[in-house]
Amino acid sequence: MRTPPYTLHSPDSLDSAFDIAHSLLEAGEEFDWIAGGTDLLPNYKWHINTKKHVISLANVTELHTLSNTHIGAMVRLHDLSESKVTHPLIRKAAASVASVLIRRSATVGGNICLDTRCFWYNQSEEWRNSIDWCHKCDCGTGADCRVIANQNELCVATYQADLAPSLMCLDATIHLASPQGKREMALADFFSLDGITRNLLCPGELITHLSLPENTGDFNGDYLKLAQRESWDFPEAGIAAAWKIDGESISELRIASTGLESIPRLHCEETNAALSDWNGEESVNSLAESVRKAIKPVNNTHFKPNYRRKMVRVLTQRCLKPLKDF
Amino acid sequence: MSDEKEMVGYRQQPGKLPFSRPGSGGKDQFSDLRDEDLIPESQGGKQHQKWGKHRHDELVTSAAIGKRTPLIDGKWKVTGQAKYGDDIRLANELVGKILRSPHHFARIKSIDTSAAEALDGVVAIATGADATAKFGVLPVTKDEHALAVNLVRHVGDLVACVAAENEATALQALQLIEVDYEVLESIHDMKEGLEDSETPIHDRGKYHIGEANIQKRVFQEFGEVTTMEEKAVASHKSNWTFGGVNHGFTEPHAVTANWDPRGRLTIYTPQQVPHYLHRSLADVLDVPMHQINVYRTFVGGGFGGKSDPFPHEMCAAILARKSGRPVRITFDREEVFLTNRGRHPSKIEMNLHADSEGRLCGVATDALIDGGSFASFGHVTTYYNGVLHTAPYEIGGFHYTGARVWTNKPASGAMRGHGAVNSRCAVEVGIDDLSSQLGVDPMTFRLANLLPPLSATITGFRITSTGMRECLEKVREASGWDEKFRNLPLGHGIGVGCGFFISGSGLPIHWDPNKYPHATVHLKIDMDGGVTIHTGAADIGQGSDTVVAQSVAEVLGLPLDMIRVRSQESDTSPVDLGSYSSRVTFMNANAAISAAMKIREELLAATTEITGADGARLVIGDRRIYDKKDPAVGISYLEALHKALEDRGALVASGAYRTPPMGRAHKGAAAGLAPAYSFSAYVAEVKVDVETGQTKVLNVWAAHDCGKALNPLSVEGQIIGSCHMGMGQVLSEEMSYTRSGHLMNPNLLEYKIPSIHEMPNVVPIIVESNDPEGPFGAKEAGEGPLLPMLPAVCNAVYDAIGVRVDELPLTPDRMHKNIEKLCKEQGVDDPLNLTPPALDYSPLQEILAKRADSHEQRDIERRNSDEIEPYHNGALFGYDATIPADEQSDQWAVSVTPTQEYLDNPRLAGSAWKHVERRHRGDS
Repeated sequence: MRTPPYTLHSPDSLDSAFDIAHSLLEAGEEFDWIAGGTDLLPNYKWHINTKKHVISLANVTELHTLSNTHIGAMVRLHDLSESKVTHPLIRKAAASVASVLIRRSATVGGNICLDTRCFWYNQSEEWRNSIDWCHKCDCGTGADCRVIANQNELCVATYQADLAPSLMCLDATIHLASPQGKREMALADFFSLDGITRNLLCPGELITHLSLPENTGDFNGDYLKLAQRESWDFPEAGIAAAWKIDGESISELRIASTGLESIPRLHCEETNAALSDWNGEESVNSLAESVRKAIKPVNNTHFKPNYRRKMVRVLTQRCLKPLKDF
Repeated sequence: MSDEKEMVGYRQQPGKLPFSRPGSGGKDQFSDLRDEDLIPESQGGKQHQKWGKHRHDELVTSAAIGKRTPLIDGKWKVTGQAKYGDDIRLANELVGKILRSPHHFARIKSIDTSAAEALDGVVAIATGADATAKFGVLPVTKDEHALAVNLVRHVGDLVACVAAENEATALQALQLIEVDYEVLESIHDMKEGLEDSETPIHDRGKYHIGEANIQKRVFQEFGEVTTMEEKAVASHKSNWTFGGVNHGFTEPHAVTANWDPRGRLTIYTPQQVPHYLHRSLADVLDVPMHQINVYRTFVGGGFGGKSDPFPHEMCAAILARKSGRPVRITFDREEVFLTNRGRHPSKIEMNLHADSEGRLCGVATDALIDGGSFASFGHVTTYYNGVLHTAPYEIGGFHYTGARVWTNKPASGAMRGHGAVNSRCAVEVGIDDLSSQLGVDPMTFRLANLLPPLSATITGFRITSTGMRECLEKVREASGWDEKFRNLPLGHGIGVGCGFFISGSGLPIHWDPNKYPHATVHLKIDMDGGVTIHTGAADIGQGSDTVVAQSVAEVLGLPLDMIRVRSQESDTSPVDLGSYSSRVTFMNANAAISAAMKIREELLAATTEITGADGARLVIGDRRIYDKKDPAVGISYLEALHKALEDRGALVASGAYRTPPMGRAHKGAAAGLAPAYSFSAYVAEVKVDVETGQTKVLNVWAAHDCGKALNPLSVEGQIIGSCHMGMGQVLSEEMSYTRSGHLMNPNLLEYKIPSIHEMPNVVPIIVESNDPEGPFGAKEAGEGPLLPMLPAVCNAVYDAIGVRVDELPLTPDRMHKNIEKLCKEQGVDDPLNLTPPALDYSPLQEILAKRADSHEQRDIERRNSDEIEPYHNGALFGYDATIPADEQSDQWAVSVTPTQEYLDNPRLAGSAWKHVERRHRGDS
């Protein structure tokens, strides 16, 4: 397997990265940012949506900063999982990604922007040719989605990154930058429901960092993922929960999911409803059930969707176990 | 003589000048005597022989055998100097790439390679027209071509190949080849393969079975098959579905072909079975075998997946011939999966019956196996699914129907535990169920139904040695079975499973065993004293080079560093059949011992000549030959060697091994015959998360009877590796197909081989039953250890929560479904409230325990006695043990064709017999 030829650009500052991006866009050339490359390069080897230009962010030191409230996009997942200043929930999520070898390369920004996955899509070019391509990488054929047949409007490839739900539960803000300027938004608003669009990044735009509120340390939480193996595997379902206890009661509770749909989701409606009338174990169980109901996975990953959906309930219950006593 | 005395610069006068001796082993001519702790009692040593003496006892020198020995090629591997398939680089080589079919089943109407040929950098292109001769690993089922001729039979079937200056150009050229296909209707469900088809995937001519896609069918009946159900007080029936699994070896296939200036072909390839490749290349390339040198590189794992001659090996040779330059083809992982030859997806119906005395009065098996698009080893696999579970238990009746069908998938073939693994799992799980029904401990049930050593199975296989009983007893004790079984809390369980496997296939595939041996080994010793072993046995990582070196070292009393093995090239190696059917240690080491014994004779004769000692009293120690009654009388190995070399120069010897005559006469009697069989018993301890269905194997106590552990280190490695591989099949590995029939997971991310996290704590336990014919008593340890892993885990799952598994792999989603079903049956909402199975002993337990005790005495007497009466399966059922039961009673039938009565209501695979072969029909 070989990647098709591409030109690698290696800027050493954000400004020069944007200069390169700008001039490529001006010239009508497409490009990809590359951070750790652990997601992009396998896709390139499979000839999936490859570009002629790749801009590496490896030398852009502005993106490497890590503190308790600031996580640079180029922070390696391994460093994040080992960091003493990072919230334990985020560390746990980071440590659950793939394997230690991959975490040594993989970055926070790359994980947030992980391409959506589908067994009709994450295949070699020959393989995809043998099924006459699919909507997500149609090679100009206008091919239908292979998961939901007879349509090529929506891509239902699954978002299978581990970090997002924990960060969403801790109310992270995502910071973007482009030659046109900077913007920020709640991480939960960053994703957009389509396996191809995936998120709000515009051409030439990148993630600079994520920021967390000062009071993040007041939150407790857990992240649990469903996977066949303890190493390597993407989450077939992932549930993060974070809560804040004030005295005898739960003052805040957030639950987010990943690995189930095209985007990670924060389940505010369900948690707010449950929190308004919290009653220990009963609430944990009914909340878990309502999260399960809110999620509609499709058949495009290792486990069958009905099983993944059922496990949402179990994972949620287990995440919320400490709240049974409230 | 020391170096100072050597004279240089003078004209040498024979007899007058002292010459320095080429030497080895340092200056110490009088090294250690033999280690008495390692010499068997029968040879005056101290090693306790609880299994009796062995014909090789007098050859024991305590030099090498039974010592934990790092593999002799290990340092090449760990320092990165081992050259595997893709490490071969020849000057001026081209890169070959293969164009593969995008269709499941299609007729090739035309191939236009002109655009690809015109591409700069493309040197040669080949299509099916370049080599139309068929080949295949079994002479009876040659059905493969180097490149598709007329038909492509699965997605990934080879259509054309290109040799270019570099990989990028070759890949570009593939895209320029225009192929016009007529797509045919493909089949993917193995059940469909049993039906007549308009265009069967292969045409077997007059031997074609109906118009169906049935490649092979087997019908066998032994013993009292008609009454097995009537006699039963407990019966087990299950319908199993086993997913197909791939070997998952580390090194993808890679081959380099080079035609030398004299027109000889050298092919460098990681092959388990170089000799069959040698033959196939000659057929396909239409050149005599002596013009081909098959060079086996280091092999990065085989497990049966590198034991077929492969089309891509032909392609490299064809491209190299066309281009006049070396051509290298290296697979990526997807191509490995498309080549496959892994374990057959199977549907197995297992029926077991136990009578009121707790005897296994009947086994009725029906196995439908999915062969994919080619025959490969499938002919044999079809038999193995049946005959390899006729032991270790004594059974009252055996009925087997098996069929292998073609489907439009990558071909299935041989994989570690060839053909025996799935049906063994079904049998052992069935025995667990029978034991529950009878109210007995499954350990006791097994111990009370074992065949003794030196006996014959119901199908006529010769059991020479068996350590089955000891395996069971050892894992029972080590695992704390008696305290744990049926006593652990919900979700925590323990289970036992056994295994039985051939130690070498009794018949060589390509020739008459009465004429030619299975294995041949040549030895050469020159003045330096080092021994060069020439053998064709393929070291595929299992350590066969080390075993053959140890065997020779042991007989000659030499340290291993004086032994070098040349096993890679067919030009220099005597023919060996290859590394399959766990035959290498047994056959090749026996051949090596024979060769070494000839050298030994010469060394002893030379010693007698020098010392005048009585030859019969001479023994070999560490590089020293001496009188065992008077160790001071003796000479060093080198002195003896140099004496023996006088007049002759190098000593050479050739040794060979052939199997003794064995087996019965019915059709298919040869399948499953082996000179010895290995036995094993594992206990697995698991935890099942009853809410998620995730199963974790915590501990495995793994006892394997390998006869004699020539190298305990590698036996343990084989056991631990088998646990890992078996666990993959039982819990997570499966070649899954999309609804469109495409292989969904042709990569190692989605094909779920367990990681280190999933690996249980394995306690390997070696049982040494001292096989009378094995080299120093040894049998196989490469494949048999895999078998018990699957049923041990399945039975532990039952003990944990009460789910009787009948579909593998037992992925969490499948397990969860089973748990939901069980909840419904038990009427509980929350799986945490399930009740795990309990065991109340019935009176039969006591009876079986007594029988097991008396059988233990019987077995000990049999293996230690010099005069042993024959023991045929059937004695437990009241027949005279000395005569096969079918010769005593009409009720004990041997039948290999179904009756009309059976055909009126056949089982699934048995329905293959409803078709009539073309040659027996009027319409052919």
